[in-house]
Amino acid sequence: MRNLLNVLVIVLSAALGLVLIGVILESPSPARVRLSEEVLMQIGASGVTHPVTAVLLNFRGYDTLLEVMVLLLALLGVLAQMGKQKRENPPAGFYLTEPRMQVLLWLARVLVPLMVLVAGYLLWAGGHQPGGAFQAGAVLAAAGVLLNLSGLLPSWMEPAWNLRAGLVSGLLVFLLIAAAVMTTASPGLLLQYPPASAGMLILLVETGLTLSLGLILAGLFLFLSGDAIDEEADK
Amino acid sequence: MFDPVPWLILLPLAWGCLTFLAGIGRGGRLVVAGLIIQLVLTIILARQIVMEGARHYAVGGWGAPLGVDLYVDGLTGIMLLLTHVVALPLVVYARAYFSSQAEGASYFWPLTCFLLAAMNVLFMSADIFNIYVTLELLGLAAVGLVAAAGSAGSVTAAIRYLLVTLLGSGAYLMGVALLYGTYGSVSLAVLEPLLATTEISAAACLAAMLMLAGLLLKTALFPFHFWLPPAHGGAPAPVSALLSALVIKASFYLILRLWFDLFAPLVTTQAAQLLGGLGAAAILWGSILAFNQTRLKMLVAYSTVAQIGYLFLLFPLMTSAIPGAAESAMQGGVMQLVAHALAKAAMFAAAGVMVLSAGKDDIALLGGMSSHLPLTLFTFALAGITLMGLPPSGGFIAKWLLIDSAVSGGQWGWVVVMILGGLLSAAYVFKVLRQAFLPPVAGIKFKPVIRMLEWPAFLLALISLLLGFRSVEVLNLLGAA
Repeated sequence: MRNLLNVLVIVLSAALGLVLIGVILESPSPARVRLSEEVLMQIGASGVTHPVTAVLLNFRGYDTLLEVMVLLLALLGVLAQMGKQKRENPPAGFYLTEPRMQVLLWLARVLVPLMVLVAGYLLWAGGHQPGGAFQAGAVLAAAGVLLNLSGLLPSWMEPAWNLRAGLVSGLLVFLLIAAAVMTTASPGLLLQYPPASAGMLILLVETGLTLSLGLILAGLFLFLSGDAIDEEADK
Repeated sequence: MFDPVPWLILLPLAWGCLTFLAGIGRGGRLVVAGLIIQLVLTIILARQIVMEGARHYAVGGWGAPLGVDLYVDGLTGIMLLLTHVVALPLVVYARAYFSSQAEGASYFWPLTCFLLAAMNVLFMSADIFNIYVTLELLGLAAVGLVAAAGSAGSVTAAIRYLLVTLLGSGAYLMGVALLYGTYGSVSLAVLEPLLATTEISAAACLAAMLMLAGLLLKTALFPFHFWLPPAHGGAPAPVSALLSALVIKASFYLILRLWFDLFAPLVTTQAAQLLGGLGAAAILWGSILAFNQTRLKMLVAYSTVAQIGYLFLLFPLMTSAIPGAAESAMQGGVMQLVAHALAKAAMFAAAGVMVLSAGKDDIALLGGMSSHLPLTLFTFALAGITLMGLPPSGGFIAKWLLIDSAVSGGQWGWVVVMILGGLLSAAYVFKVLRQAFLPPVAGIKFKPVIRMLEWPAFLLALISLLLGFRSVEVLNLLGAA
């Protein structure tokens, strides 16, 4: 029965794959909308010069607002299912006693400040070339993971108020700016940045998001890593 | 003129962030206050829709295809009103529920706020990629709520639910990618005329199939219902009520929108008959399984599987050439959606009270409930009246309209299914009621429950019953174009 089901799934997936290839090879509709031209035409009013950032933070900034909420929700899901599991905070110096770890420790101590610097640069660069809050946040999160793996940063337990504030601060800044531009401007639509201050507002939103996304992404690792180490210690 | 549309998006997101900031298990009072504000906003919006008709809202001021558009019409208004009318008593209930039983309370409030925010943005979206984001928001919030119960069974149910919901939104996203690749836009307002006027491409057909299949999986239409009973039956009662009453309706709403607007040039009568057939199978099979359950909450969850079936009867009925028949099919389907949401929220809430009081989820232990918790049992019975479709409930109006449409359209087969379904739902409702009137099982001691657990559920059941008297207003709002 189970084998039959597996065969069915394989056959269906293969069929879908073949149909997809066939459909993709079909030429696109002649009545196609040329969206990239429209983006380039309007980019002057967006407050940034890089088209990807213009789409993500201005033209479709609404999608981005919802997507960062999705990331926070993913973390909430992790926290919710950890629930009442008994977890112990592994000692910060867990690895420090191992002499062969000295190189790793040294490297982590050198790399992490550099990574924070890179995150800041990526955030700033997003306005005019590839970069932005998501990339900067990912680098920050990676710095957190590196610190945790080398034993310099303990895994996170139930978040205290300061960590919770960090996790949502960027999202709250985004919501506040969305509400502020709506209530102060004269036509007053959601997320409608005035062209004159759009660049500054987008940088503000991205700065907040970098911090929160960095913490959220790091949290997806750090809230769970405590368990893994515990289990290994038990063995 | 004050526009409630953006506030219905920003406020619930803000409550979600703030209740998370407030800490574990806290923020219930904020959510109740926030939902009262939002209910007022939805009433204002519904009035605006009735007075001025449907309208678009360009987020960021760009307009489609560059920006994201929102769209509100009568159906949106009904869904938003329904969400808030159901959610407000349920959060009051949830506060009382988690004060008697802390299991699953830890992140209930932020997850619920994000769930409700996801519903609001989903109902108002007019952009197929934006809809995908709202589906992810809704799915993750729902999975988080199911997982929060913390027991091994609920985590298994949550993981299965997560895989199903990811598969569903993955299929949907593939369809979005195909449409974007072919037509260069993700805005419904741009895509609709393109699909209607140009030659139908294979990509559009495949996209329609993938998107509808993904949404059917999320709606748990037979035979995709396998994930629903463990997820809905195993969660804490306020969560079960939210999921069964509202969350599956969101993906059904999208099917309705896509079927009759975007994919209207592609869908065929045979496809509509197929959906109707699956709906009929869901009614019969779901009711039989509900009757066979020994656990109360599983019975209620299987009843949801059956009641979803009625919603899909509107697709074959809408193909009728007789204009009146198609109209009453749509009205009946939407009425069924509203009535079931209210009744099922009441039923799950009442079941939660009974399980809490008996200490164990078992129908055989319900003996004596009639004298111990008369109000809750009455609530369960009232909700049952709506599910059976007896007058004067909203369920009666819904089934009346559907049967009327089937008769005038000459599709007699569906009438038989609906009458059989009504009898079967009477069977499983009376199974519970009969047990509750029997003398108590020896050795069982019912725990007392606080009043605030019983009244919100009763209020919901009462609204579902009295909906029959106010159905004209609901149908007026639906008709506002």
